[in-house]
Amino acid sequence: MPQTDQVPHRFSKHGFSLEKAIRFFFASNAGLTIVILLLIIAFLLKEGLGFFPGYRRELQVYRIAGLEFVDLSRSNLSAHEQLASVLNRAYFAEINGLCTRELKRSQEAAALFNAFSDRSSATRELLVSNLGAGAEAHPDLLATLRKNHAASIHQALAALPATPHLTSAERADLLQSIATRDVTATDDPPLVASLAQQYAAAQQQQSVPLARLRETIDAFEAAGADLSVLVSDMTATVTATKEAIQNADILNKGRASLLAAAGHAKDPATRERLLTDARRSLAANPDIDAPMQALMLHKPVCCAAHTALRQACATILEQLPPTLSQPEAQRLLRAARSATGPFLANLANTPQRISEWRHDQPVPLSAAIGSFLTGKDWVTGGEWQDFYGILPLLVGSLMISLVALCLAIPAGVGAAIYINQFASLMEQAIVKPVIEFIQAVPSVVLGFIGILVFGSVLRDISQLDALAWVPGFPIEERLNIFTAGCLLALMSIPTIFSLAEDALNNVPAAYAEASDALGASRLQTSFRVIIPAAFSGILAAVLLGLGRVIGETMVVLLVAGNRIKIPDFSSGIGAFLQPSHTLTGIIAQELGEVPLGSVHYQALFVVGILLFAIVLGINATAHQFISRPRN
Amino acid sequence: MVTDLTNQAAAPPAAIQIANLSFAYHAKPALRDITLDLPTHQITALIGTSGSGKSTLLRCCNRINERIAGAHITAGSIHIHGIDINRPDIDLQELRRRVGMVFQKYNPFPKSIFENVVFSLRLSGVRKRSELDEAAERALHAAALWGEVKDRLDTSALGLSGGQQQRLCIARAIASQPDILLMDEPCAALDPIATLKIEELLHQLKQQFTIIIATHNMAQATRCADHTAFLYLGKLIEFAPTIQLFNTPHHPQTLAYVTGSFG
Ligand SMILES: Nc1ncnc2c1ncn2[C@@H]1O[C@H](COP(=O)(O)OP(=O)(O)OP(=O)(O)O)[C@@H](O)[C@H]1O
Ligand SMILES: [Mg+2]
Repeated sequence: MPQTDQVPHRFSKHGFSLEKAIRFFFASNAGLTIVILLLIIAFLLKEGLGFFPGYRRELQVYRIAGLEFVDLSRSNLSAHEQLASVLNRAYFAEINGLCTRELKRSQEAAALFNAFSDRSSATRELLVSNLGAGAEAHPDLLATLRKNHAASIHQALAALPATPHLTSAERADLLQSIATRDVTATDDPPLVASLAQQYAAAQQQQSVPLARLRETIDAFEAAGADLSVLVSDMTATVTATKEAIQNADILNKGRASLLAAAGHAKDPATRERLLTDARRSLAANPDIDAPMQALMLHKPVCCAAHTALRQACATILEQLPPTLSQPEAQRLLRAARSATGPFLANLANTPQRISEWRHDQPVPLSAAIGSFLTGKDWVTGGEWQDFYGILPLLVGSLMISLVALCLAIPAGVGAAIYINQFASLMEQAIVKPVIEFIQAVPSVVLGFIGILVFGSVLRDISQLDALAWVPGFPIEERLNIFTAGCLLALMSIPTIFSLAEDALNNVPAAYAEASDALGASRLQTSFRVIIPAAFSGILAAVLLGLGRVIGETMVVLLVAGNRIKIPDFSSGIGAFLQPSHTLTGIIAQELGEVPLGSVHYQALFVVGILLFAIVLGINATAHQFISRPRN
Repeated sequence: MVTDLTNQAAAPPAAIQIANLSFAYHAKPALRDITLDLPTHQITALIGTSGSGKSTLLRCCNRINERIAGAHITAGSIHIHGIDINRPDIDLQELRRRVGMVFQKYNPFPKSIFENVVFSLRLSGVRKRSELDEAAERALHAAALWGEVKDRLDTSALGLSGGQQQRLCIARAIASQPDILLMDEPCAALDPIATLKIEELLHQLKQQFTIIIATHNMAQATRCADHTAFLYLGKLIEFAPTIQLFNTPHHPQTLAYVTGSFG
């Protein structure tokens, strides 16, 4: 070894360097983050990728047990029921529309009385139960209770809902009868009862000219009876077969793991024991052929039932009146009409599908993937058959995000532009922290504000008569896509605002100066130079806001209504006022309850992977915009 | 409101008359009692040490200094074509359209070359394509840039070289046909060749514009300027025809500065 290496020279390094240690510390932290991220991805993939084979097996069982065959008929049956329910709703909407006045009066009186009862029931029940105790009750106690009850009555009377459809005399009368009511009375006040009677009488009266419609609907409902009986017959057989196959599957799985364990076991005794266990758990191959043959015997009956149903429905539906007088009833009637075509067409081609159906047709893996990606049903934990189609969840997530972005982009970007370009220093000092503070509100708190305040207020507003023309009004569900979207907008405004403001701030001051020197006004400088120069940054801000919205869980879980169904777009923009479920919400809701390693569990992981990919894609695009050179 | 600064019947020969001007940033004085008449259609150079107030003086002439909070004129006035530009009824945007400015660091907008040139026309609401085309071509010719960019007018201005970008800024400043052009060290960020091109350009632009140029480069002042003003610590030390100022300066400080023995 040459001497020079050991003799310290002028520039030689000292042994230990603090700088190196610090460097190492930060490098290892960064490295750890990346490793953890990779581990998360690996974990998601490991848990999720088993889903498709598992789901494929479920679909296979669905077919070989004959559930799929039954569903061919069943889907028509439920379409029939739905159509009947729409017609019924149209019928009642017509009647109620014709006696709106009576309905409103009866509802208002009842609502007033209910509000009163709710507020005074606590003291009243105490009093009544002590009165029931008879002579044992101490008179002083009774007196106190009476006094309390009187006070609560007084309070309740002070804050009762408005009754715009009752005359003031009627209201006074009602209040009078409520106030002087005997504590033990259980019947309704006379006005409430008489208004209910009036309403019933009005209904009765209005239904007379609609008798033909009623008959038509009844006939329509009755037409489905045959098919219904048939379906429930077949259902019993196929569920038994399915259960047998599933049990065999479970046994086989257990046996495979026993054999594998035996293969690994070193001790001959253990090995022997495992092998005998395995042999014992050998499942008897379930008999699927006999029930299937029995099921196939139903084919001609099924076909006949469908043909009969189609003919019956076609003639019955012809007899529906061309129009109804009430707008809501007319809308429902139109909805029923437009559903009629597909319904009859389905009925017509079902016999062919029934006779072509084969239980031994293979289910390829692509069918499982396709059913996952394009399936319209997410049905889990049911007795019939689980389906994992993400379309309703994806549509829900996208619609909520759309609402959120439509509100958050103008608000967030607008606020950023205003604060950055036009606001006084004082306004900046107030507005910026306030907007950023929103971010600090825990989302669960926002969630219940959404439910209790926003959702209820929105619904109450939607019930105003003057707003009945707004599509989707009156809102049926307090929790819906729109409320969730509004809250998510609130949550994403700080993100969009801060990032957009940064983007505007990062525009070189020289641009503004040059623009001013060329004679631009304040507004011209902002809108012709600064905002265009910050455009890609603003776009990135919006995308990152979108990422936040799609990934948000708590608020949507609390406020979106959690109905797993693709919203009904036939009501146009009103579809946004329906409840829905989301990709994030479903994971949060179901992951805690599913059995570990089940297909359902894996399905949730695949949803997670999808979500991860979406958000990753959005963020990557956003960064593309951020790092893109200005030009 | 005064919107037309060009046609004043009794316009004096000086394009800009600065009288007893004092200027301060907050409480810190930057210009003290400057009196200076800048002749029409000539080039006037402002020279002086760093911090002597050259930029400040230039930036007073189009009131762009007002962008800085606390900057204000403490005394004196500036008249352009006989009109006091600090009158309260002055249309600031019109003033800046008449008094163009080119900055030390070239700063084209992140837009196409064409959009940069016609920016000021668009501001005043010109929409007609033919008018815009014509103005762009005229300005680019005047800035000696037309030949280099005529085939790429729609590409980003940021793709040009530094010297081209500075000439684009000149074209942008003259597109609205101002009378006066303020140039704050326009060649400071450029190499000698690009500098030379701009100096040649100045000689042509002189026909149409009154030019004031702040520069550190004394050679540049001797090459281009008809008159030169020497500033020191916010005061005007000497103002004379360039040849006279450099060859036979009256003031000992000027002499020290132009001979390089200043200190
Ligand atoms: N924005 C500002 N705020 C406060 N003081 C300023 C500002 N700009 C310039 N000054 C001060 O005004 C004085 C004159 O500055 P100015 O920029 O006009 O000098 P200059 O001659 O252009 O110098 P240089 O040759 O370095 O560009 C300096 O003392 C400077 O510190
Ligand atoms: Mg300067």
